[in-house]
Amino acid sequence: MGFLQIVTSGLLLGGVYALAAFGLSICWGVLNILNIAHGEFLMLGALAAYGVYALLGINPFFIVLAIIPIFLAFSFLFEKLLIRPIRGRTETEILVASILVTLGGALLIEDVTAFLWGKSFTGIPYSMISLQVGGVVIPLIRLLILAFILALTWVIHFYLKRSYTGKAIQAITQNREGARIVGINIIRISMITFIIGTSLAAIAGVFYVVLYSMTPYMGLSLTVKYMCIVVLGGLGSLFGSFAGGLILGITESIIGYYVGSDWSPTVAFFALVLILLLRPQGLFGRK
Amino acid sequence: MILVWMFFLFFLLGIVSLPNEAIAQKKKVILIGGTISETGRYASDVKPWPKLMNTWAEMINERGGLWVKSEKRRIPVKFILYDDKSDQATSIKFYERLVTVDKVDLLIGPYTSPLTFAATTVAEKYKIPMVCVEATASAIYKRGMKWIVGIDQAGPKWSDAYFELVRHEGKAKTIALLAEDQIIFTEVVPGAVENAKKIGLDVVFFEKAASGTSDFSPIITKMKEKNPDLCYVGGFIPFNIAFMKQAKELDFNSKEFHFTHFGISFKEALGKDAEYVTGSAYYMPGMKFGNYKFFFELLKRSGVSITEYPWANDRMWGFDAIQWGIETSESLKRDDLMQAFKDLHIMAVAGALHFDETGQGTNRPIVNQIIGGEYQFTWPARPGYPPAKHVYPRPKWSELK
Repeated sequence: MGFLQIVTSGLLLGGVYALAAFGLSICWGVLNILNIAHGEFLMLGALAAYGVYALLGINPFFIVLAIIPIFLAFSFLFEKLLIRPIRGRTETEILVASILVTLGGALLIEDVTAFLWGKSFTGIPYSMISLQVGGVVIPLIRLLILAFILALTWVIHFYLKRSYTGKAIQAITQNREGARIVGINIIRISMITFIIGTSLAAIAGVFYVVLYSMTPYMGLSLTVKYMCIVVLGGLGSLFGSFAGGLILGITESIIGYYVGSDWSPTVAFFALVLILLLRPQGLFGRK
Repeated sequence: MILVWMFFLFFLLGIVSLPNEAIAQKKKVILIGGTISETGRYASDVKPWPKLMNTWAEMINERGGLWVKSEKRRIPVKFILYDDKSDQATSIKFYERLVTVDKVDLLIGPYTSPLTFAATTVAEKYKIPMVCVEATASAIYKRGMKWIVGIDQAGPKWSDAYFELVRHEGKAKTIALLAEDQIIFTEVVPGAVENAKKIGLDVVFFEKAASGTSDFSPIITKMKEKNPDLCYVGGFIPFNIAFMKQAKELDFNSKEFHFTHFGISFKEALGKDAEYVTGSAYYMPGMKFGNYKFFFELLKRSGVSITEYPWANDRMWGFDAIQWGIETSESLKRDDLMQAFKDLHIMAVAGALHFDETGQGTNRPIVNQIIGGEYQFTWPARPGYPPAKHVYPRPKWSELK
C-alpha cells in the first residue's frame, strides 16, 4: 500500500512541476531564451494569489482567472524591455544574453518584491478533504489541481495544433529561418510565446502557494528544478514537460520513501546528468 | 614679539594644567553593533527588532544610560544595525564593518544559529565581546571561542520542557521525529530523541530531510505507517507549514503535532489547520521573572506583540545580559567586559541566566499550544508561570472544526 500511496503522491506532485516546466520549455525551445526569471514569475503568481486571497477570500481556483490579465501585461512589459533588445543576434549570443539579462531581471524582481512586501514567507490557508480509495489517500486539492493542469495542457495542445499562432510557434521551433521566409512575424509570435510561458509559471505559482508556502527568494531554486524537467522531457515539447514533471515527481517520492528524504532533492540532478549522457535531446525532444 | 611668546607660554601652561579627562576625549556613547534579518527568509520572524532594540536604548537612556564603573557615571547606549539579508556572508561583512569602521564597543548576535555560527568568527578575529541571542546550536559554542556568550540553552536541551510535559501527563507511548537539515535542528531533534527515550517513549521514526524540502509525502507516508502518538518536527517555519499542510492532505492523524518554530506566519498560513499544534516559545505574558515590568513597557512602547514575535523575549535576555555585563564590568575595555559577561549570575526576564564554560546560557524554551486561534501557555506548570492549558489528543482532521 505504501508503494501505491507514494506513486499517487508523486503523480500529483509531478503535475504541478509540469505546468511550470512547460512555460520554461516553450520559451527555451521556441525562442532560444533561457528565462532564469521563470521562477520569479511563479513567485509573483504566488504573491498575487496571496494578495487576492487576503483581500477577497475567494477560492484559489478562481484566483487563477483573476491574475491572468495582470501577468499578461507584466510579461508583455518584461519581454519588451529585456528580451526584445537582445534579438537579432546569433543563436548562441541570444542564449547567453538571455541568461544574463533574465538573471539580472530575476535578482531585481526578488529584491524589489522582498523590499516592498516586507514579509519573508506566507501561505494560503486553504485545504480540502482527502479521498480514500482502497487504502490510498488522494488529496482532493491535488487531484483538482492535476485535473486543472490536464485541462489546461489539452487547451494549449489544441491551441498549438489548430490556431495560426500555435502553428507559427511550432514552425519557429522546427526552423526559425524557414518560418521567417514563409512570412511568419517572428517578433510578434516570440512575444506571444513568452507571454504564454511566463503566464503558465504565474498560474503554477497560485497552486504552489496553496500547497506549500511562498517567499520572495524561492524563484531561482525553482527555475533550476524546472530546467532539469525541461531537459528531461525535451525542449519545446508539451508532452515532454508533462512526462518529465511526472517522472521527476514519482522518482522523488519513491527515492524519498525507500532511500531517505534527504536524497530526494538530488534526484533532479541525477536525472539531468543521466539524460544528458544518454539522450541529450531529452525523452521527447527532437535531435 | 615678547607678547606673542608670552601668549604661547600661557597657552601651554593652560593645556598642562587641564585635568586628564578633559584632554582625553570623554566617552559620549556606548556603541553596540549588530545585524538584523530585515530581508530574506528570516525577516518575518524579526521584523520589529530594530524598533525593539532602539526603544530599549531609549528607555535605558531616559535614566542616563548604563553605569560604567571606571568612568563613575552613566553613559548612553546606541545601536548600530545593518540588514544581513538572512545571509551568512552578508552578516560577516557587516560585523567586520561594525568593528573596523563603526568602532563599536561590543556586538549583539544576529537571528538564528546559522547566521550566528558565521558572525561569531568576526568577534573572535577582532577579540571583541559578542552577546549571542536566538542562537541555540551548541556547535557555535563548542569551537573554543573566547569572545562570545550566548543566552540560549544548548540545542540538545531545547525539548526538555516538552518532554517534561509528556512525562507528566503519561498519555503518549510512541513518537515520530523529523529534522530539517540545518545546524540547529540537527542538534535539537537528536536531543529530542534522547529525551523521548529517557521518558520511555518508543521512537518509531526519526529522519532528517533536506533544508527547504517542500514535498513530505514519502516521510508522512512512512510516519503514518508507524501510527505515532506524537509527531515532533524540528524545522524553520516554511518547512513546518508545508509539512502540516501535507499531514492534512494525507490524513495523518497523530494525536499531537509539535513544531520547534510555529510563530505567527505558521498560524496565518495554516488557519484553522494550526489548531491544537504545540510548539516552542521563550515567553508568554504572565511569566514573572526578573525585570519583567520593564520588558512589558518595552513591548508596549515598541508595539511588539510577544505572542506574534515569541523570540522578543530572547532579545530581552540579550539586553539584560548587556546591561548587567556593562554595569558590573570594571571598565569598557574588551577584556573587562568579556570577563564580566562570563561571571554574570542574574535573574533575567524569564529565568536565571549564567553562562557555562563554553559561553552558552540558560534560557530554555517553554511549550505553548494554539487554541482557539491564540497561543496558550502549556508548560512548565510552576510558580512564576501563567496557568497551563493543554488539549491532548487533538481531534482527527475529519473532526477538526
